[in-house]
Amino acid sequence: MSAAREGRVVAALGRRALTVQFRRAQLLMPTFVLPLMLLAVIASGTSAAQGLRGFPDVASYLGFVIPGTIVQGALLAGLTSGTAMAGDIEGGFFDRLLAAPVHRTSLVIGRLAGTLGLSVLQTSFFLCIGLAFGASYPGGPGAALAAIALAAITAVGIGGLAAAIALWTGSLSLLQSIFPFVFVLLFTAPAFFPRDLLTPALRSVAEYNPLTYVVEAVRGLLTGQEAIGDPLSGFGAAVLLALATTALATLALKERLRTA
Amino acid sequence: MSATTAALPVAFALWRRSLNEVLRVRGALLPATIAPVVFLLGMSGQFGRLTGLDGFPTDSYLSWIVPLSCLQGAGFAGAATGSNLARDIEHGWFDRLLVAPVPRPVLLVGPILGGVTRSLVPATVVLIVGLVLGAELPGGVPGLIALYVACAGFCTVAGLWGTFMALTFRTQQAGPLMQQGVFLAVFLSTAYTPEVLLRGWLAGAADVNPVTHVLELARQATVSGIDPSLAHTLPGLLALAGMFAVLGALALLGLRRLGR
Repeated sequence: MSAAREGRVVAALGRRALTVQFRRAQLLMPTFVLPLMLLAVIASGTSAAQGLRGFPDVASYLGFVIPGTIVQGALLAGLTSGTAMAGDIEGGFFDRLLAAPVHRTSLVIGRLAGTLGLSVLQTSFFLCIGLAFGASYPGGPGAALAAIALAAITAVGIGGLAAAIALWTGSLSLLQSIFPFVFVLLFTAPAFFPRDLLTPALRSVAEYNPLTYVVEAVRGLLTGQEAIGDPLSGFGAAVLLALATTALATLALKERLRTA
Repeated sequence: MSATTAALPVAFALWRRSLNEVLRVRGALLPATIAPVVFLLGMSGQFGRLTGLDGFPTDSYLSWIVPLSCLQGAGFAGAATGSNLARDIEHGWFDRLLVAPVPRPVLLVGPILGGVTRSLVPATVVLIVGLVLGAELPGGVPGLIALYVACAGFCTVAGLWGTFMALTFRTQQAGPLMQQGVFLAVFLSTAYTPEVLLRGWLAGAADVNPVTHVLELARQATVSGIDPSLAHTLPGLLALAGMFAVLGALALLGLRRLGR
């Protein structure tokens, strides 16, 4: 009974998070449009890279780089979730939620449910746009669905981290200003280029970035070539990230309540 | 006292005010400086091997990408002029300035000069980071002058674009539009690879994009294949003058419409 009630709370908060996102078009700009712009430019601007020795033999260059866009979308969806939470804290809405007779962890998970939904919509949108512009996904529809699931788990992982920062600091402007750091995570993974062709320093750093395994797994799934990326490693990295950051956000909430 | 002499102190005061926004708000320049540095490091790490392709004028990708990141930083500093103006319009401060006994265009001169001054910070930080990491400086002092002229000119143009957007939408919510405009202008050019290596629609877009010539002007500093010469300088200066004329006219038109 209690679990069902908490489930309804999580669903309601998740729905609210998504509704807010879609009612304020300016919030959609960075999450939906920016990754596509970067994809368009990179896919066309660097496609000559296929001629480099060591570049994997893939059916479509757009299909090869789109995993980078999917992971970028997951990063931005997660960050947006933290930004919205900081807005709720600054605006006083979060304090009202805290007074509700629900489990407090549900408040965090509800927000992350919204992130999950946003990521599913976003990744599906990116894959469809890619398809319309000539990308091919030899892995098939099942692989595309797995890629959508993997991106959604990753978005939850990033959303948990952003929520933890929001809960610790309660500062909307701080969350807005960490936007460039999203690109640090993206560019220290082989987002748009094969790992073997990254510069040696970046290749070493990439090994420790969980997004490396996620982006390679999405690439492996979509191209249907496990040699390019192992889906299991990707799911493992994404699930571990999501669990760790959700726990971190829950801890941050407890800390916030203790010091409030 | 002539109108010009009367206008100078106003322009100077507004220039000082826009600089104070940076000097007195801690960390105000941080995101605008960090973002291009992150792009510089990320892009050079991801696409460093592209220099191995036939037709690439330099064997140092960092040297190729440093001017791009400098322009990007300068452009974002320029676009911020528009965001600040939109904030002043929303808060009613700009209405008060409009009743001042000075020609309306003078009200734009100070903030845009402020943007140009601010843009020197990200451009210089990116240049220093690039040089420390191994970018070359074959253009010497003439090349450096060309780079800074390109940055200052592009910042002015971006400032006019931001101003036009602010005067058209009169809300800070137009901020992403100002930044995306700069982002698109920079990346729909020879951002990642020279024109001979561009494929598809981007080759056509880069061909007609005036920012391609501004990049060439800037690249005289760091790219050994683009030596300082009038042939590499004049097209960039003409492109800047053209963009200045068009966007300046649009900004003035927006200013004339304000309050009517």
